[in-house]
Amino acid sequence: MITIKVEQLSKQYMIGEQSTGFLFHDMNRWWHRIQGKDDPYLKISDLNDRTIRKTSGYVWALRDINFEVNQGEVLGIVGSNGAGKSTLLKILSRITAPTSGTVKMKGRVASLLEVGTGFHPELTGRENIFMKGTILGMRTQEVKRHFDEIVEFAGVQKYIDTPVKKYSSGMYVRLAFSVAAHISADILIIDEVLAVGDNEFQQKCIDKMKSVSTEQGKTVLFVSHNMKTIQDLCSSVITLRNGELDRSNIYYKPLIAV
Amino acid sequence: MALEKIITSSSDLKKNTTASFDPGAEGNWDIVIGPTNPLFNFQFKEIWSYRDLLRMFIRRDFAAQYKQTILGPLWHLIQPLLTTLFFYVVFSRIAKISTDGLPPVLFYLSGITCWNFFSSIFTGCSNIFVQNAWLFSKVYFPRLIMPIGNAIGALLRFGIQLLLLLPFFMYYSFNGYDFSIGWSILLLPVAILMMSLIGLSMGIIISSLTVKYRDMTIIVGFATQLLMFATPIVYPSSMIDSESLRFWIMLNPLTSVVELFRFASLGVGTVSIAGTMYSFAFMVIALIVGLILFNRTQLTAQDKV
Repeated sequence: MITIKVEQLSKQYMIGEQSTGFLFHDMNRWWHRIQGKDDPYLKISDLNDRTIRKTSGYVWALRDINFEVNQGEVLGIVGSNGAGKSTLLKILSRITAPTSGTVKMKGRVASLLEVGTGFHPELTGRENIFMKGTILGMRTQEVKRHFDEIVEFAGVQKYIDTPVKKYSSGMYVRLAFSVAAHISADILIIDEVLAVGDNEFQQKCIDKMKSVSTEQGKTVLFVSHNMKTIQDLCSSVITLRNGELDRSNIYYKPLIAV
Repeated sequence: MALEKIITSSSDLKKNTTASFDPGAEGNWDIVIGPTNPLFNFQFKEIWSYRDLLRMFIRRDFAAQYKQTILGPLWHLIQPLLTTLFFYVVFSRIAKISTDGLPPVLFYLSGITCWNFFSSIFTGCSNIFVQNAWLFSKVYFPRLIMPIGNAIGALLRFGIQLLLLLPFFMYYSFNGYDFSIGWSILLLPVAILMMSLIGLSMGIIISSLTVKYRDMTIIVGFATQLLMFATPIVYPSSMIDSESLRFWIMLNPLTSVVELFRFASLGVGTVSIAGTMYSFAFMVIALIVGLILFNRTQLTAQDKV
């Protein structure tokens, strides 16, 4: 069963300083729209190659991305800095909308885009687990049910009633990953956050992601620069280059039926 | 050539996107992400499913406010009391402005409470996207949770301040002041609801504009101060004798609401059906415009803040 379907997804970004000139662009865009014409600035933007200086002020962070992900699959997304990986994850996590194209998904999505996401520094670990759980769409009751599991997996029992501003960055990411991994989402989106944790915890996370995908049938999207981790964990891999899907570099290991 | 292809495909896609909102189209997708969302889809159902998060935000704001303060929640009472004292001295004793026959202290206290309520909702909501960028850029949840939480938080503080009116009310009653409050007290929830919804709607309209044009934050700062003087807070609207000036003051949708509030809580106020209807209509239109703008802005707000 297909759980994620990405069709002709494109995302345009404005680069450079935002200034009064954009008020003119906004008005021009609006004028084109009431005349029923296309957005004039979609035509002039550049391919996103950060090494070449361009002048149009607009770039395609993603252009014409198409792919599908099956249930229970672990999809690795690789590419150099600025290739569009994080933009793709942001669109999939509904942080920002695409410029054109669609994404369709089945089930609930939980994403972990950065260390400490949704953590309030003044609140304790315990309060933050509830906060983050509810931010990820859980009811308080559900968080309560999984609370012990979450704390145990993160291994922060001793600090659970300490404000998280006193946590080390490793402890932060342990707790953050643990909450995301234990909630009842169907799709998990994990950006390069595990790099902060120590080897033992990274391995633990990789094992956890493997088990949630094979045993619980969750779909995982995973960004990493560590090719060993990608090979170890992912059932298929897509490569992004300057915002486009690198078709010569799609690796697909057929899954054993779930 | 490739660029042209994308442009045509994006306009093709618009047709496809609208088609795929039909649940029978292809598979039952739970989430469909596209470049825009339907104009009148305010996701109230989704917001309801996030009610636990709403409760957490309200509690967090309330708790975080008193961290590292000595007097804690008492500040909610000290602030209106001190302002009342100053208003009493300046506007009643020095400027000798009428208070509609009400004891000046009660008149100012109710006005300040009412105004604080409005301005805390309005200014709180007007900066939603910029203030929460750290959170909005990392996780998804229906963004409308934030202004709603803000309004409910302000409502709670307003409730506490409203209790402050009681001892003064009793004091003046014992001293022989005859308050003519009867059934009019039933209008109090109406006034409060209108006050909060006007504040919320204007706030979310401003918040959507602030995303792109940061000038708005500066405008809001002094506009709320000036707006207070355009609203009968330190003077009763019955005192305005110039016909043209009255027109401008009545144009402020808050005028009738404040008078309604004063009439409901203290029994004196210039309430007219036409004025109240005008404020109500303003509220409905602002709310719809605000929801549409907010809904659209939230899609790409994180690229701009």
